[in-house]
Amino acid sequence: EDAERITSADVAVVEHRRRVLDEWYAWRDAMEKELAEERAALGLPADPVGELLRAKAAEIAPDGQEQVIE
Amino acid sequence: MRPILLKGHERPLTQVKYNRDGDLIFTTSKDQQICVWFSHNGERLGTYRGHQGAIWSVDVDPTSTIIASGSADNTIRLWDIKTGKCLKSWEFPTAVKRVEFNEDGSKLLGVTEKRMGHLGTIVVLDIKIDVEAEQSDEKALTIVCEESKATVAGWSYLSKYIIAGHEDGSVSQYDAKTGDLIYNIPVHELNSSITDMQWSSDRTYFITASQDKTAKLISAKDLEVLKSYPADTPLNTATITAKKDFVILGGGQAASEVTTTSSRQGRFEARFYHKIFEDEIGRVRGHFGPLNSIAADPTGKSYASGGEDGYVRVHHFDKGYFDFMYEVERERANRQQQMGTATA
Repeated sequence: EDAERITSADVAVVEHRRRVLDEWYAWRDAMEKELAEERAALGLPADPVGELLRAKAAEIAPDGQEQVIE
Repeated sequence: MRPILLKGHERPLTQVKYNRDGDLIFTTSKDQQICVWFSHNGERLGTYRGHQGAIWSVDVDPTSTIIASGSADNTIRLWDIKTGKCLKSWEFPTAVKRVEFNEDGSKLLGVTEKRMGHLGTIVVLDIKIDVEAEQSDEKALTIVCEESKATVAGWSYLSKYIIAGHEDGSVSQYDAKTGDLIYNIPVHELNSSITDMQWSSDRTYFITASQDKTAKLISAKDLEVLKSYPADTPLNTATITAKKDFVILGGGQAASEVTTTSSRQGRFEARFYHKIFEDEIGRVRGHFGPLNSIAADPTGKSYASGGEDGYVRVHHFDKGYFDFMYEVERERANRQQQMGTATA
């Protein structure tokens, strides 16, 4: 009987965690979607930092070629 | 998880910050210098000297070209990371307690201290990420905190909002273009100062640390409190880890605990919590004084803590850390893997 009670308590904990995890990912998915839409509506690049880094790399090596530094 | 000890500062640490690639760590201290270190081996690359007072805050732009610092000498300064040259200095009537770049590094905010005759403010500066460029003298925006001074502030996703944490324990959301206050919500216990706030990687949510011994995970869009992490000591800092769903909290009451500190190992701890389930899952000891600032490596490989004891400790995560999963997380991961194979 004790073992049964412990098992049902464990099941309840696991059920609770499963729900908490699902809620979190539901919120994340909704937020990520909203963010992507807002970004697109503003005409901003999906990856703003990626753009910046490409620009910086282009400045260092303008023709897109790797340069040999002696 | 053997730590690397970074020795170089002579006074308490005030902020620890990784660059985006996670290969560099910038640290500020009351000793008036900023240090930069290689995160993988703890070697010091250099120092940035010029401030005439304690340095409270540092941030690095997303391309790792320049850093900004805020100091008790009432200035914000910009520095060329590579050469260590000070590129620009802005003066304010009071100390600058916090600086932060927005997501594309085009703007910098600074939190200025409240003092007799001066209310606390959040100032915004336009920045050019270019060490040759002339930086603008003018402030793009000033937000005056009439109710309670801001202690920390940062930029949300899309640089849409400026979010501030206040001395009275509340959090504010301002329109980042106009400076208009949208929400002010009492998130922490009344008059328990917010000591730190750090972002998730996409800046849609953030974590606050407070003297009320809790940290909270909050949505930037509506300031909804998503999660709460209770600790048993006032908190100075909180950070969100990449790759794994954890948060790391740091703090510690100095005076009462110092007497019980063993001589071999400091007893001040970094506390790990599961971000989603809110359970405490582990502690890492080491510092001899309160942890003032913890930063998580954006690439997920390590974390660094700066202490009142003047040391920075860098911990590289081991396999056990990456393998750790709750049963329900494993279930979910397996399910997603199956779905992946099904669609492939």
